[in-house]
Amino acid sequence: MREAPYETVLKPYGEALTALARTRREIVCVGADLTRQTETDLFRDAIPERFFNAGMAEANMIGIAAGLARAGHVVFVNTFGVFCTRRCFDQIAMALAYPRLNVRLVGFMPGLSSPGGPSHQAIEDVALMRALPNMMVLEPADAIEIRQAVTALADHAGPVYMRLKRGESPLIFDESHRLQLDRAQHLTGHGSSDVCLVAAGMMLPAALAAARTLEREGLAVAVINSPVIKPLDGDTILAAARGTRVIITAENHSIIGGLGSAVAEVLAAAGVGAPLRRVGIADVFAESGSREYLFSRYGLDTLAIVRTAWEALARAGPVPRVISAPAAPGSYAPV
Amino acid sequence: MPSQQHSLVRRLATRIRLNATRMVAIQGFGYLGQALSSAEIFATLFGGAVLRPGRDRFVLSPGHYVIALYAVAAEVGLLDPAELATYGRDGTQLEAIGSERTPLVDLVCGSLGQGLSAAVGFALAAHLGSEDRDTFAFLSDGEMEEGQVWEAAMFAAHQRRRMGRLVAIIDANDSQVDGPVSSVTTLEPLADKWRAFGWQALEIDGHDVEALARALRRRSEGASEGAPLALIARTSCRGRLHCLPTTLDAHFFKLDEPLRAALEQELTRELESADA
Repeated sequence: MREAPYETVLKPYGEALTALARTRREIVCVGADLTRQTETDLFRDAIPERFFNAGMAEANMIGIAAGLARAGHVVFVNTFGVFCTRRCFDQIAMALAYPRLNVRLVGFMPGLSSPGGPSHQAIEDVALMRALPNMMVLEPADAIEIRQAVTALADHAGPVYMRLKRGESPLIFDESHRLQLDRAQHLTGHGSSDVCLVAAGMMLPAALAAARTLEREGLAVAVINSPVIKPLDGDTILAAARGTRVIITAENHSIIGGLGSAVAEVLAAAGVGAPLRRVGIADVFAESGSREYLFSRYGLDTLAIVRTAWEALARAGPVPRVISAPAAPGSYAPV
Repeated sequence: MPSQQHSLVRRLATRIRLNATRMVAIQGFGYLGQALSSAEIFATLFGGAVLRPGRDRFVLSPGHYVIALYAVAAEVGLLDPAELATYGRDGTQLEAIGSERTPLVDLVCGSLGQGLSAAVGFALAAHLGSEDRDTFAFLSDGEMEEGQVWEAAMFAAHQRRRMGRLVAIIDANDSQVDGPVSSVTTLEPLADKWRAFGWQALEIDGHDVEALARALRRRSEGASEGAPLALIARTSCRGRLHCLPTTLDAHFFKLDEPLRAALEQELTRELESADA
């Protein structure tokens, strides 16, 4: 793994998808306006005959994707997460999930990463998609995972929802990192631990930073990256949970229905009794603002994870100060 | 098409109505009105050498009409007629509202207003693969209250050079759950709306098999250049049958014994005179 602040790259999804589609003729790309914003201007310019812009008509876009997929295509559907999941839930359920079609819904601007306020902030997209039978839910954490996810999705059977950060994508992992569609990764802190952090997507850098801060205080911290939120890799999470004192999930999403809920279900079903704390959006609609402001205001920052661990372990003294690595322009650091 | 074939299609429409009456009689209620209004449309598609099974795409957007599909399929050798007796029963393949378990179609939707979008997707795929396929989407007028239908209409017209082989057949029977469509919302002028969206539009009597055949054969006779076609078939849920009261709840039909017997008698007579 690399160190924060992380180098960033632009358009890893668009590049990976376009490169793959050059060799795989069954791949088609469908969007609803927002072409550059979803990195698919690269696809549009390279392979225009397999790019379809439905315009601002998401319900129709889902239906078109269904027809293309039924005819044998692997369809990548791109828009913002809010519009993809809220506007056309029935269409996704009936036209894609129920018939188990090879459609990949790619929703950009997860959680509070959008400055656009509640209309543009997908805070319950994972909950919605996770509730649909047959639907896989993915949230890669960095450009390395995004590239590998695109390749893996070309061969996966069935519908997938993948939420992606818009804009600069950090490089957290080394090239040797391997994303698997049925695995979470126990990244650091093997053996018994005081705290086990389970994170995905944009909250992985914060979890890693929180782990460093807590380790400096003498605590043993395990960090698990769970890019596949459904089906959740219960075995990896349970193995870590059995050897820890408190489990903390961290997600850029409502604490209802997302990664935290998925982990809670696995723990409860297995009778693993470690206390669980969920760091995420506390069942509220947020507001407009910068990522820094919103992540700090709504408890999605590194400090929120550190404080949650500190309080759950009933540690004495003030909550430790977060070790921060200031981000230079073009680099990425967690809030 | 010779007049003898029209007679056969007319007879097939009567068989569809009779099969549907018997299927609805199993539980005493069901989507009979849909079969009565669309009988000639399904008869022409499946018995009038229009739809090539296994090649052309058929999307049945309002899944409540699937009764008409079962009824015609049993007549043209696509479905074991004995299966019709399982319609709507627990565990059946022939569910009352079409689903992914429904045989015979490329897609049947249950949630209304979604079928045309998928038909557009099928047509795009056929064009991408340079395949010899027509795409037929069966729609009802009521589901045109859903905005998605018009999203699909707009998109298809924009993609017109790829959509020449797409036909939307609209059963305009003026029926929805709350009563006549025209009492709930104003869809008219329907043909003008489709034209304004960039489609070719034809308006015909949907119980006239000659008019249906003419309109649908138009596609296979090289008229597939240009805009997609919306064929508005004006029909009645009473299917021109004399024994049905005008006050009928046509969306969800309650079929009591006297009405069942009257329908059976009228349709049987129609068949007899067709065979005479």
